[in-house]
Amino acid sequence: MLTKDELLEPLARLRADAVIVTCMGVTRPWGKYSKSELDFASADSAMGHTADLALGLALACPQRKVICLNGDGSMLMTLGTLVTAVQAAAPNYILFVVQNDTYEITGNQPVPGAGRIDFPALARGAGFMRVYSFEDSDAYARALPEVLSAEGPVFVAVKVQAGNEGPISRSDRESAPYLRVSLAEWARRLRRALGASAQAT
Amino acid sequence: MAQARLILDELKKNGVTHVVGLPDNSSAKLFDLLSEDRDIRLISVTREGEAFAIAAGLWIGGKTPVVVVQNTGFSESGDGFRGTITRMRVPLVCIITYRGYAKLALLRPEAGGNALDAETLSLPHLDSAALITEPTLKAWGLPFCLLHSDEDVTRLSEAFTEVQENQQPYGILVTGDLT
Repeated sequence: MLTKDELLEPLARLRADAVIVTCMGVTRPWGKYSKSELDFASADSAMGHTADLALGLALACPQRKVICLNGDGSMLMTLGTLVTAVQAAAPNYILFVVQNDTYEITGNQPVPGAGRIDFPALARGAGFMRVYSFEDSDAYARALPEVLSAEGPVFVAVKVQAGNEGPISRSDRESAPYLRVSLAEWARRLRRALGASAQAT
Repeated sequence: MAQARLILDELKKNGVTHVVGLPDNSSAKLFDLLSEDRDIRLISVTREGEAFAIAAGLWIGGKTPVVVVQNTGFSESGDGFRGTITRMRVPLVCIITYRGYAKLALLRPEAGGNALDAETLSLPHLDSAALITEPTLKAWGLPFCLLHSDEDVTRLSEAFTEVQENQQPYGILVTGDLT
């Protein structure tokens, strides 16, 4: 089982110009490794739709990778997204499920099926052709370059130790840049960073 | 009733790149046209809440999406709509088919208004999906207009202007089956 640092640090080193969309328990820790305007925190509660938002970004920006760091509780809320993502066939879409088996933000209550859910099997059943699964930090670090260069859609399940992240706020108290402003403002910053404001309004 | 072809033409006139949604009997003709269209990409979803989050991502990435769902699906989308489109102030035009609209007129003589009590919501000859549609849109901060016929199709272009000016979504409620 990986620590969050073991998950995030190699990804921050290798992400290049990829958009990173974070969710729930990794949102604040990711801010330790990245201050990029290509990051997006989908952490304001939208009932598990982070993977959908990232899919839309991937479809809009085919020239760059879009990496979603989804939570297992969030993924369980929208399992149909696995089917939608395969159907949409975005080759630049990489969907991580950070599996800690708990709702960490609300105090680590177990998610339904904790310890039994086979996310890679769900992804394969939905039609993902490239599916990776990691429980060991060394194996993850070795495979990450391949994961990030594979033609997608790619699904990655990573078993991670539960932490103690509390609810996310959007305020000056947060150190991560993408949590210091409103969701509406950061969405427009990301649009500018992607050159999207010039393409369309 | 409005023609699906006119709506598709209006979407193209406004530079729409993607339609994200789920069909129903009212929108079926539009989805049929979209499935064969080369200019607008149709993204089919398994549940309506997905549609709004995907549309938000498309917009952030510089595209011009439209969401097409039934009013029942809009209700299902609840927090997905609030947590993405509303919070991000996405200038999104939402086409929402109004299941049960035709029977709404039956409510007024017997109930004297739009009271949403348990008795009204369970009346067998009314569709509760329709009863809650407009109150829900108002509660969720989605301004809207009704599209009844071909003469109303230009409301779509007005909606595209409105969403840009106000940087917020706008709903087009389609009251009959598209032909």
